Amino acid sequence: MTFGEIFRFEISYQFRHVSTWLLFAFFFLFGFIILRLVTLTDGTYLNAPGTITFFTVFGSAIWVVIGGVIVGDTATRDVQTRMHPLTYTAPVSKFGYLGARFLAALALNSLLLLTLYAGFLGSLYGPGAKTQFVSPFRPDTYLANFAFLALPTSMATTAIQFMVAALSGRAIASYIASISIILFSQFGGTTVRFALEWKTLGGLMDLLGTSIIAEMEGWTPIEKNTRLVLLEGPWLWNRLTWLGIAVSALVYTYFRFQMSHQASSSRRSLFRSRQAAVSSAAQPTHTRIEYTSLINVPDVPRYFSRQTQLHQVLAIAGQSFWSIAKSWTGLTLVAVLALGTGLLATEYMEWLGVPLLARTQEVLNVLTPPLSSYKTHWIIIPLLIIFYAGELIWREREAGLHELSDTTPTPEWVLFIGKFGGLTLIITIWVAFLMLAGIINQLVMGYYQFELDVYVKALFGIQLTNYLLFALLIFVLHVLVNQKYIGHVVAFGAYGFLLFASMLGVEYKLLIYGSDPGWSYSDMSGFDPYSKPWLWFKLYWVSWAVLLAILAILFWVRSKEGGPTARFQRAKHRYSRHKMALFVALAFVVGTGGLLFYNTNVLNVYLTKSDRMALRADYERRYGRYEHAARPVLTHTKLQVEIYPEEQAADIRGTFSLINRSNKAIDSIHLSTIPFNPLEAISFNRPASSVVADDKLGYHIYSLKKPLAPGDSVQMRFVVHIKPTGFSNEGIDASIVANGSHITSDWMPVIGYQANRQIRSVQDRLAYGLPPRAERPSLYDVAARNENQHAELMGFDALVGTSKSQIAVAPGALQRTWTKGDRRYFQYATNAPILNEYAFFSAKYAVQERQWVHRLTGYQYAFQGPERVVKPVIIQIFYHPSHAGNVARMMKSAQASLAYYTQEFGAYPYTHFRVLERPGHGRGMHAEPMTIDYQEGYSLMNPQPGGLDLPYHIMAHEVAHQWWGLYLAPAAVEGAGLLVESLATYSAMQVVEETLGREHLLRYLSQMRQEYKVPRSRAAPPLLRSNNSFLNYRKGPFALYALRNYIGKKRVNDALRQLLRTYTPAHPLPTTLDFYRELQAVTPDSLHYLLHDLFATNTFWDLKTEQATAKQTKTGAWQVTLTVDARKMRVDSMGRETNVPMNDWIEIGVFAPAKNGQKTGLPIYLQKKRIRFGKQRITVMVPDKLIQVGPIQAGIDPNHLLIDYEMNDNMKALTFER
Amino acid sequence: MELQIRNVSKTYTKGRGGEVQALKNVTLTIPNGMYGLLGPNGAGKSTLMRILATLQEPDEGSVHLGNIDVVNQPEQVRQTLGYLPQEFGVYPKARAEELLDHFAILKGFSQRKSRREVVGALLQKVNLWDVRHQKLGGYSGGMRQRFGVAVALLGNPKLLIVDEPTAGLDPAERVRFLNLLSELGENSVVILSTHIVEDVSELCTRMAIINKGEILHEAEPLEAMNALHGRIWQKVIAKNELAQLEREHTIISTKLLGGRTVVHVYSEETPAMFDPVQPDLEDVYFSVMADHMMAGRVADSQGGQQNDQQANEA
Repeated sequence: MTFGEIFRFEISYQFRHVSTWLLFAFFFLFGFIILRLVTLTDGTYLNAPGTITFFTVFGSAIWVVIGGVIVGDTATRDVQTRMHPLTYTAPVSKFGYLGARFLAALALNSLLLLTLYAGFLGSLYGPGAKTQFVSPFRPDTYLANFAFLALPTSMATTAIQFMVAALSGRAIASYIASISIILFSQFGGTTVRFALEWKTLGGLMDLLGTSIIAEMEGWTPIEKNTRLVLLEGPWLWNRLTWLGIAVSALVYTYFRFQMSHQASSSRRSLFRSRQAAVSSAAQPTHTRIEYTSLINVPDVPRYFSRQTQLHQVLAIAGQSFWSIAKSWTGLTLVAVLALGTGLLATEYMEWLGVPLLARTQEVLNVLTPPLSSYKTHWIIIPLLIIFYAGELIWREREAGLHELSDTTPTPEWVLFIGKFGGLTLIITIWVAFLMLAGIINQLVMGYYQFELDVYVKALFGIQLTNYLLFALLIFVLHVLVNQKYIGHVVAFGAYGFLLFASMLGVEYKLLIYGSDPGWSYSDMSGFDPYSKPWLWFKLYWVSWAVLLAILAILFWVRSKEGGPTARFQRAKHRYSRHKMALFVALAFVVGTGGLLFYNTNVLNVYLTKSDRMALRADYERRYGRYEHAARPVLTHTKLQVEIYPEEQAADIRGTFSLINRSNKAIDSIHLSTIPFNPLEAISFNRPASSVVADDKLGYHIYSLKKPLAPGDSVQMRFVVHIKPTGFSNEGIDASIVANGSHITSDWMPVIGYQANRQIRSVQDRLAYGLPPRAERPSLYDVAARNENQHAELMGFDALVGTSKSQIAVAPGALQRTWTKGDRRYFQYATNAPILNEYAFFSAKYAVQERQWVHRLTGYQYAFQGPERVVKPVIIQIFYHPSHAGNVARMMKSAQASLAYYTQEFGAYPYTHFRVLERPGHGRGMHAEPMTIDYQEGYSLMNPQPGGLDLPYHIMAHEVAHQWWGLYLAPAAVEGAGLLVESLATYSAMQVVEETLGREHLLRYLSQMRQEYKVPRSRAAPPLLRSNNSFLNYRKGPFALYALRNYIGKKRVNDALRQLLRTYTPAHPLPTTLDFYRELQAVTPDSLHYLLHDLFATNTFWDLKTEQATAKQTKTGAWQVTLTVDARKMRVDSMGRETNVPMNDWIEIGVFAPAKNGQKTGLPIYLQKKRIRFGKQRITVMVPDKLIQVGPIQAGIDPNHLLIDYEMNDNMKALTFER
Repeated sequence: MELQIRNVSKTYTKGRGGEVQALKNVTLTIPNGMYGLLGPNGAGKSTLMRILATLQEPDEGSVHLGNIDVVNQPEQVRQTLGYLPQEFGVYPKARAEELLDHFAILKGFSQRKSRREVVGALLQKVNLWDVRHQKLGGYSGGMRQRFGVAVALLGNPKLLIVDEPTAGLDPAERVRFLNLLSELGENSVVILSTHIVEDVSELCTRMAIINKGEILHEAEPLEAMNALHGRIWQKVIAKNELAQLEREHTIISTKLLGGRTVVHVYSEETPAMFDPVQPDLEDVYFSVMADHMMAGRVADSQGGQQNDQQANEA
């Protein structure tokens, strides 16, 4: 046989397998469907190089996982079929044999990946293509992606699979190799790259190209549309590395592979057992043949009772368990991962540089990913389940003793349950490892209150159930498919469905095996309110699992007869015995399924994502015409709220006082309500009749018999009932729980049409047939500045009742509180008007209270007029008793913030300031008038002395919102975020500097600049038209901080104060243009260019020091010469860059060597200098005595005031010239 | 107890639409005792064995062990079945005693103490007691085969099916193995399928010859040999004389002996230049096979007609 003949034979042989055809069909369909399903939002094309790169990586990830079957077969078929004595002795060289087989496998695998592109092309140019998202055809898009991404991936993977399979002689080894590659390259690479921050190594480990995908996050739409991934830079090294690995694997295979007979028993099998090879047993030489007849086997009675069968189940379970437990990967893989997860806790138990308190609630986040999550390293558990399910089902058949075991008098169910029992034991141990990981994590983090009951419930109650349900499904699939590799492919298909069900458009939980509406554990509310729907859903899935198990038992193959007819025949025979169980299971499936359906579709409305969008579109189509209809203004809200935490219910009776402030009579009152949540008992204190009552879209119109004259007022009463009826597809609304209820004003009706319910995204508007409309009104949309409903102020009082043991809180001063029966009541009233944004809280709170009195120093501006006096403020923090860690610093921060803001910006309008905790994992806070709420995640931040005190910051930020956002409510146009979030962050920075010191502020800034390192596109609007959180929370504050360093803190504060002084909640509302004007007023003309660069355009600087030398002059002073390269450019929203000339003032600095524990040393020299565009030399004089021993850093913009994503090249170590 | 095989047929579908009939209308009655099923490779022996061992289902026909319907009540058969497949593997890392114990549990020995006794006795019986702690991966072919016998013998089966057990055993192991089997079969149905005539002649009281899915001959070995008495003749010839001889006589077998060819022919009269031989079972086997191939299937076509009639009546 020649090389070519082996190759040709191998290819044609592979095409005789159905599985090969299935794989080709799969990749074609995948390529076809994925490009039909996806919607790209940022203006990139479906056939853009970036898009194709993304799906090339995605597709090859899938290929790595399921494509191992080809190599498995080519590399091991001869040994598996025991034909190797023939092939090995044929006159063919080892090189020819291995080489041709490998090349055949590589050719097939590469062809498979090419099929992906065929699918892409079919999707892009086939019938029904979305041509508006397709740009002109470019062959290099596909060629580059295939040649530089897919093909090298295919080579390396095939080589590694081939090595492992050929050397072990087991086809399944190629599958293990695939999984190992994914684990090493994806999870390992990502961990190394992000968690340990070894970027280069992590980049090299990445086989598939996920590092490029991550990088692409920072590409502009133009780049995504045009840029090809080429062999250059790190990617070249990556491909060379993997090519090197591939070649090494092949060379190793060549030298290790032996074309000779290998006794299967003496080969050390890598994947089977860790025991050393067994030595050949010696023949007993003393045997005398006649002996045999003398021995009588006792005739012991046998029993075929249930008890025996139970015994058999246990015996099979035990044997299955040990067969996995003794294998290399059985327990060790999960154990090592658990150990690593525990020991490396400090690496990930942090948030923005702040260590976390390792309460069980926090640790469980890491340990309990849902089965449908692939962004977790615990994905290893489902993958191992798939693998070991296959091994167990095929164990006897692969060992060749199935004919012995199949003829034993054990019923099929004993075999099935026994094997499943073995896997169950293994999974239970894995879950125990998870628990161990959690406890080690807590020990490492120095936390010692182990809540074992919570661990047991979450891990052994919830996670184990999920894993077992999954394992059972995989078992059943393997039994039904009855072909090991196709079984694996089908199992992966099923797993893929669970992972990507929502992406595939399947949202209905009754159709996604094993799913539930989600759960979460909180110290405050426990598993409330998730346990009930969870249990019902699991009962449903367990019924399914039992039903499936019975099916598997019916179709269990224990003979030569694998054909469908014979199996149906057998199933028919077995049916009578399992009829009862089958029907009971079926009854349970139907019963629980019916009950779930009743809950999700009858008691509640089932809406898909697109249903919801359609509702919003309908709302706009039907009622959008009332957007500008005259409406009365809400001047007072009076509420009577009865909260019943144990019943998860509340009754709210409300009275709105409405006044006509327009100059026309109003003849009807429009209300927007929550869709499908009918209001009750709406009444007016004057004759009115309902004209439109649309509960589905949530819109009501009441016609007033006598129109409301200008200046006239009307009272509206209504009742809101909150009580979950059963549960929906999403579970139960968590507003009201046994402990930690949080009812927001979103439950209340709102006056008029609400434009913020409209669909925003341009694509979605197109898809739902709505006329185009900008996502946000333009900054220059003058009409939009007159929309001031969100800025209107109202009076507020509320009577809140809750159960006796809880405290209920609402805005306003507490007027009185009393107990009646087992209910406790609280009466609140505000002493200054608030925005229509509030919430009710009820929980078993611990309370800390302080009074804050303003000391009259500095400026005394009362921003609502000079007559206002600064009143003492009662600060109250309501927290969960076991979450007391941050309460003291919250209190300090609140006091310092109130003091600073009152002094700089004006008086705080209310007598109360409240901070309340509520259940949830979020780490941020949320501000409402005089009230701030935060989720438990905030309490679990555990700042260390000397580290960043982020909770202090966040608190200061939220207090600042009482001025920025809640007092000053900007127009809802582009840039509003700058006036709310950027100003709050900037204000908080001042508080931190005043109270915690400048050093702490710098630490904060450096942590915030970490965001630069996340790949980030420079394409963005200017700050004045800011529209995303990076601009609002990072770039805006950085720009203000830079400005402050150029013009001084006082001038910036002057501008801010001026903005507040001129504010009124009447229209037109302020925009960033007003703010810009105030800034211009305080900025000297010479720096107006900077203001323009920072705020009015999207400007970037590229500042780099190339050389830094020092020379002593005759006078003894040092002359420091810097060669710097400075550039400035504007980038538009699509990513087009334009260089702009510059003559900018930029800091030049020389810094002393850093002392221990410091990042940079003290400045020896720091001055702003005029810097022009391009390369230039700058010379500064430094007095003699300041030059010290050690590395001295010198360079341009050392404090990173200007926006420059590349921060590492600003400074350079000084070299001395003699 | 008696095993009744009635009109069993089995057809395999091969690729590209072809079919192979592995068993054609097989009818046999097998009493207690050692029964030999003799036939060349591919005759359908293993298919029949597997049908008896509940691993396959016939397309047509029925099999009864006493009152048990083997096809439709596999669970009952398995309670009293011992099966030694033609080829089987073992878990190489398992020890003989532990794996036999596992099989004992599967076969219904639920009491730990008595199970141990049975396992111990069986290991002694098959002469693996001394190596019971060794791993099965290190066993030789013969030892592995004996281990299989131990598994098959668990629970004193009433139906013992032994499929080609001596293939691949060395002469000593084969003797050892046949000795083991010779003890069985007094109270049970033991079916031994083989293509080695000596296996049958040494062990079996009854036998059937099967070829291409059909039963060609059913007899007691001794009787069959006697029936051929005086009809088998032998001659030692040179190789080139064979063609000539073939035209003149019914050659049932040729054998090489020291480089020359020994020819056995069947003849009711004394052929010239031939010596009479005492017929052995091999002569029976070969004469049946030769008869079947050349003489036109006399015995079988009768059987076939009979069956056709039965089919018509049904």
